[in-house]
Amino acid sequence: MRYSDLGIGALLLFFSLLAPGFLNNYQLSFLLQVLMMVTLAQSWNLISGMTGYISFGHGVFFGVGAYTGALLLMGGAFWWVAILSAALLAAALALPLGLLTLRLRGPYFAIAMLGLNEVGRILANLWVDLTGGGDGIALSPLLSPVLATNYFSMLALAVLATLGMGWILRSRFGLELRAIREDEEAAEMLGIDTIRNKLIAFTASALLPGAAGAIYAFYTSFIDPSSVFLPALNVQMIVVVLLGGRGTLWGPVLGAVLLMSVQELTWAEFPALHLALLGLLMILLVLYLPDGLLGAWKRIGSRYG
Amino acid sequence: MAEPSILEIQGLRRDFGGVQALGGVDLQVRRGKITGLIGPNGSGKTTLFQAVSGMDREATGRIYFDGHSILGLRPSRIVALGLGRTFQLSRVLPGLTVLENLLVASRPDDSEAEDRAHNLLRQVHLERQVHVLGKALSYGQQKLVEFLRVLMRSPKLILLDEPAAGVNPTLRRTLWELVRQLQEQGTSLMLIEHHMEVIADLCDEVYVLNEGRIIARGTFSEVREDPQVFAAYFGHRNRTAS
Ligand SMILES: Nc1ncnc2c1ncn2[C@@H]1O[C@H](COP(=O)(O)OP(=O)(O)O)[C@@H](O)[C@H]1O
Ligand SMILES: [Mg+2]
Repeated sequence: MRYSDLGIGALLLFFSLLAPGFLNNYQLSFLLQVLMMVTLAQSWNLISGMTGYISFGHGVFFGVGAYTGALLLMGGAFWWVAILSAALLAAALALPLGLLTLRLRGPYFAIAMLGLNEVGRILANLWVDLTGGGDGIALSPLLSPVLATNYFSMLALAVLATLGMGWILRSRFGLELRAIREDEEAAEMLGIDTIRNKLIAFTASALLPGAAGAIYAFYTSFIDPSSVFLPALNVQMIVVVLLGGRGTLWGPVLGAVLLMSVQELTWAEFPALHLALLGLLMILLVLYLPDGLLGAWKRIGSRYG
Repeated sequence: MAEPSILEIQGLRRDFGGVQALGGVDLQVRRGKITGLIGPNGSGKTTLFQAVSGMDREATGRIYFDGHSILGLRPSRIVALGLGRTFQLSRVLPGLTVLENLLVASRPDDSEAEDRAHNLLRQVHLERQVHVLGKALSYGQQKLVEFLRVLMRSPKLILLDEPAAGVNPTLRRTLWELVRQLQEQGTSLMLIEHHMEVIADLCDEVYVLNEGRIIARGTFSEVREDPQVFAAYFGHRNRTAS
């Protein structure tokens, strides 16, 4: 990472570490959700921002993680074991899914992933013995970690996701992923094993959403199929990355802070319109701000700088 | 002792629906030589490169590269065996810089990739464009960068599909010089090219393809005298002799 990136990162981390000391519970909850969105968006950025394979259903890994975390915690596992297992299970699921779906060309991959999130939701509804079906799972407050613990866990994920992205952006692996986004056939002809690279990126991109799902379950103490396999969540992580700037290090962070703040201030008033507004925003971004705010900033900077 | 041919093609066939693009092609590329592949537009030259490079895995027949049977292998595997290839229409990676275009094409374990890239760019006078995006280059420069990035892995055999098309005369000379140098260093090359004086000048051996079949093989002066070749070029509706 460049020094400026390290500087920005250190400042954000410093603030986030001290935040529990001066924020009330409501504010801390909000910040936890921002950190969760940073984690999800960075993960989505890894597969979709870097390779151009747009996943419309990355929430499926979040949902799987949420159920894994909740069930393991209720089964008596340590909270951190539950989180770790959720991450690993999500990645273990991503590997075969990736083998199947990443052979599809971009648009078909997008549609397949959209379907997967729905499959997750339906399975969670039907597999009553395990998930409690539509009744969901209530986590005992005696077993769940407290808010501050959940907050710091989520912070760790967001830091990990951002550090990981910073490393990948500077690595040969990142360069190969960008080559795939530019022209997959030409990349393969340059000796890049495109299938292996996409598979690694996809599997890695499921890891942290799985962990985030588990922490989210601890934090809300109640999950059901429609709250963790949430269509809006899939759209949110996409909008966050597009808003900030896809394939960039700080885009997902900036996007998460902005989107979550705007939602908190306005859309909470119109829950019925939430998804429609998100969709509209996504379309506007694709049409008018494809590089996101950071991309636009760079362009303006190079024009007048 | 390695076989005298680096590339050996036997009975290569490829149909597109009803159109037979390759109708059983036999061809050898000798080690350290420049082999020309000429023929009218639509005769199957690019289709042959597509099959050899693994981009098209629907062709049937046999292809041996440096002793390995490669038909059906993915391009990245074939590249790992030592083959490099350029495209007829430039496929420089548009959103990557010139330097990144070269680096991404290097061997992952090549610790001198960056030096090598700078050296190559200097040779074709593109050193000032290192940090320019691929899409910002002129078309001719893009074709050159595409050629250079193939050189990053020092391939044993390079397939060049009309590398000079759209390149200005100055850069063109640089390009042919580079081809000559590569051969002197022992690289084998296969060249699709419409300019006959270039073929005459560079190629040790020439194959003439017409409607998916090899109709002549020999030195340039030999195939030039061949009546079938004359008929293919001048009796053809899409004649492209220039
Ligand atoms: N992808 C394809 N689909 C259908 N037909 C093709 C395809 N590629 C090539 N062809 C046909 O195969 C024949 C040979 O084409 P090509 O190899 O591009 O010729 P050349 O490179 O010698 O000009 C032509 O008739 C062309 O129309
Ligand atoms: Mg051609």
